[in-house]
Amino acid sequence: MFCGIDVGGTHTDAVLVDESGIVAASKIVTDHKNLVGTIRESLDKILHEAAPGSVEWINISTTLSTNAIVENKTEKVGVMVSSGPGVDPSGFAIGDHYRLIRGSIDHRGTVVQDLNAKDLKGALKEFSKKKVKVFAVVSKFSTRNPSHEDQLSASLQDTGDYVTRGHRLSGELNFPRRITTAYYNSAVWRLYNEFADAVEKSIADHGISAAINILKADGGTMPLTLSRVIPVETILSGPAASVMGIIALCHIDEDSVILDIGGTTTDIAVFAEGAPLIEREGISLNRRPTLVRSLKTHSIGIGGDSVLSVADAKVVVGPERVGPSMAQGGDEVTLIDAFNFSENAGFGDESASAAGIKKLADEHGMEPGELSRQAVQRAADVIKSEVHMILEEINQRPVYTIHELLEDKHVEPKKLYIMGGPAKAFAGVLEKSFGLPVVVPEEFAVANAVGAALARTTKDIELLADTEKGQLIIPSIDIMKKVGGWYTLSDAEADARQYLLEYLKNHNADTGVVPEIVESTSFNMVDGFNTVGKNIRVKCQVKPGVLLKFGKVPEVQKTETEA
Amino acid sequence: MIQAKNRLGIIFFPAYDWAISPTHPEREERLLYTQDQLWEEGVFDITGIREYKPDIATADDVRRTHFCFPDVGSVVTESHLISAGGAIRAARLVMEKEADKAFALVRPPGHHAMKIVHGNRGFCNINIEAVMVEYIREHYGPKRIAIVDTDCHHGDGTQDVYWHDPDILYISLHQDGRTLYPGTGFIEELGGPNAMGRNINIPLPPMTSNEGFAYVIDNIVLPILDDFKPDLIINSAGQDNHYTDPITNMNFSAQGYAMLNTKLNPDIAVLEGGYSIQGALPYVNLGIVLAMAGVDYSHVLEPDYDEELMEQDREITQYIKKLGTRVLEAYFDPRSVAGSRGMVNSYFVRKKDVFYDTDGIREKQLESVMVCDECSGVLKVETVSSVNPISVGIQIPVNSCPRCHKEGYRMLEDAKKSGKYTYVKFINRKDREYLDF
Repeated sequence: MFCGIDVGGTHTDAVLVDESGIVAASKIVTDHKNLVGTIRESLDKILHEAAPGSVEWINISTTLSTNAIVENKTEKVGVMVSSGPGVDPSGFAIGDHYRLIRGSIDHRGTVVQDLNAKDLKGALKEFSKKKVKVFAVVSKFSTRNPSHEDQLSASLQDTGDYVTRGHRLSGELNFPRRITTAYYNSAVWRLYNEFADAVEKSIADHGISAAINILKADGGTMPLTLSRVIPVETILSGPAASVMGIIALCHIDEDSVILDIGGTTTDIAVFAEGAPLIEREGISLNRRPTLVRSLKTHSIGIGGDSVLSVADAKVVVGPERVGPSMAQGGDEVTLIDAFNFSENAGFGDESASAAGIKKLADEHGMEPGELSRQAVQRAADVIKSEVHMILEEINQRPVYTIHELLEDKHVEPKKLYIMGGPAKAFAGVLEKSFGLPVVVPEEFAVANAVGAALARTTKDIELLADTEKGQLIIPSIDIMKKVGGWYTLSDAEADARQYLLEYLKNHNADTGVVPEIVESTSFNMVDGFNTVGKNIRVKCQVKPGVLLKFGKVPEVQKTETEA
Repeated sequence: MIQAKNRLGIIFFPAYDWAISPTHPEREERLLYTQDQLWEEGVFDITGIREYKPDIATADDVRRTHFCFPDVGSVVTESHLISAGGAIRAARLVMEKEADKAFALVRPPGHHAMKIVHGNRGFCNINIEAVMVEYIREHYGPKRIAIVDTDCHHGDGTQDVYWHDPDILYISLHQDGRTLYPGTGFIEELGGPNAMGRNINIPLPPMTSNEGFAYVIDNIVLPILDDFKPDLIINSAGQDNHYTDPITNMNFSAQGYAMLNTKLNPDIAVLEGGYSIQGALPYVNLGIVLAMAGVDYSHVLEPDYDEELMEQDREITQYIKKLGTRVLEAYFDPRSVAGSRGMVNSYFVRKKDVFYDTDGIREKQLESVMVCDECSGVLKVETVSSVNPISVGIQIPVNSCPRCHKEGYRMLEDAKKSGKYTYVKFINRKDREYLDF
């Protein structure tokens, strides 16, 4: 059996699943002051269905790191940044202890200028004076040559509890994002490790010896032990858990759009040929872009509790103010009230909804039916135009070869999957608006926890081999080795696969996964008119996937457009 | 987060699967390190800077610009249509106000491609700026456009395409043609009789450095632009004036390129040559991007940059000052500089020998243009080359007067009737009619 717990902003959902489906489920209110208590309570509610020793893994999605960063409740971090020439690095400053250390490495990974000892000394002095205990060290092009980050890290060996080295977070090139990501990683490190200790203890207290994995924003998991050194990877995993849930609950094999309609927001995700799309760059947090890989999800401020208002005889839905709705005994007229009034959604107290809609209509000299209809239409229009924008962005994604440009792969959704509280109420309207068949999966209320339970491990690495320098590097998993002039692209592909699997094995991750090569290029390097070597680049990943899918193919509701 | 002052669209298309030949400077690897640098710097995370996919130019986009022999399909490949399409996308972004400025970082380049195309010369098949400019005039109406070419080689192709067009001001800054390919681009080359003074060459001495370029922009280029008052300024942004370039002899730097761009303030930049792909391009392109976006570029320096080595000899400074006086004189009083040889009845006639160095093609042209006070003048070019028998191209200009319009059709009928030409190409820009016979 597999256990999934999604600690969300409002609720914590937990499920126990096996091949037959959901064995036990629970939904409780999240206690943000005591997340471990919330997890323990969830386990209590579902684990009585499980025989001891039958739980293979417990996968947890938590908002701990996200909330700590958003609410600015993190530890102070000493940041040492070595930029070299380029964009002014003072523009990337983060935290109160951001120090620039002169020194430079170029795009080939050649050290151009050594680290400046005086700058380093000054930074160390400041950190010690301010009693900074965790650090982030980042140099430009450290993914090509990590030596400066390693030196900076070594200089902190005696003073620090933890040092994040930028190149260990991702092989991607993006210096400012590397700084932000390394900073966040160290900022939540202590808090996260305390949490991890408590979770381990709590699960042990239950007498369970299952593997513990943590959800990531890319819809995959990592072992708890590994998450202790890269806690930043745990941010914003919630929407991804929902998307993985949809994969487990529905058989998606074509281009589709997934809408997770909540009380205050709607999360949008896109599938291409049945697979969720991954954000090309990392996810943003606190408006700062990071290198944390994530599924491509997009959140808009429309949900069942979005308050209705009227401006210039036009109905506005949300985006910021939220109910509770009249139907739920609140005193704001919300979108769900409109659904009750004109779509017979049957949610809560329908007569209260009707009274609210009538009152709002009277205040603005409108017909109640017209107001309600407009509100529903408005919500559908906003969602539709947002989906359109996301598709446009996906389809306009730059490519860099003539082959890909001419091939011109397009994502064109054929189906719409809707989940979340008001999902059923929305189905008919969205079906008409999009002109696409709509599916509302049966277990949509705990899809997030199902996704957590069944998510498999993910990992991506970037290999760079420069045969002129005779050097191979896979920065994020700390591989460096010598290669000869004979080294080829297929050698690199084989190496990438092998090192990735070894890494998973060494960290006791779920190893029943298959790495795939996602990008693979080899450039002849020419000096004058002579070929002097090859510049080989391979990206290899274990992409997000679920352990098993529940048997049935959901029925498609008949649509008018089909008839 | 860094915020750009100008919304900048970047069309980055490195064509990682295309090369002229495996070790040719124009090969797959050319923009690899530029991309590494731009990505590592987080350029596309700067608020206001966005990356776009190129358009793919159509055969009609090429036919309204060039006479291609035997036809468009034979002289261009997809790579050329995409690189021209990248320039077109840049223009669309700016013309449709989706961006304040746009930079087409695309390859292969185009500024050695002339009006008539038999093959590749100077790594260029079609003139991507010209295809873009004609696209702009076709879709957004008549415009006065200035093209400032900062490639180290004289843009003899762009000069040729716009030789007779008074609405397009072409200014080329380049290493003196006596010392570098293609060996042209002297002050006296001022344009045809209908566009005299609309072609300005500034042949700079070898080892001109940042100081010299700054002087030229401040004291020559900007005063000319002030007088011409273009609707659009386009920078043909070759990067081979760089001190590390393997095939030129100048002393310009990334700081210099960025500074030049700030002063020139172009609406659109299009990459041209530049083959120091590791030592120059990553830094020069970063400098240009930041300058166009209005972001501080003072920290953009090459790893081996040495300010002392970059100092310009006093002799060169003196030479450039004198050159400046002559260029300004040529612009403001072109007829005193250029002769008026070549008049036959009301036509101005010139003979040209063109060598396509990349493809090894030799071509002879006989070009005649109607001398006209009303428009750019109807144009006829007879051409014969080592790959195509005698053929002809006839063009009615976009601003054509009734007389030149009528004359164009008469020329076309005569050409068809004569049986002399294997291929007859007809461009009627006024009525958007492009015919092949």
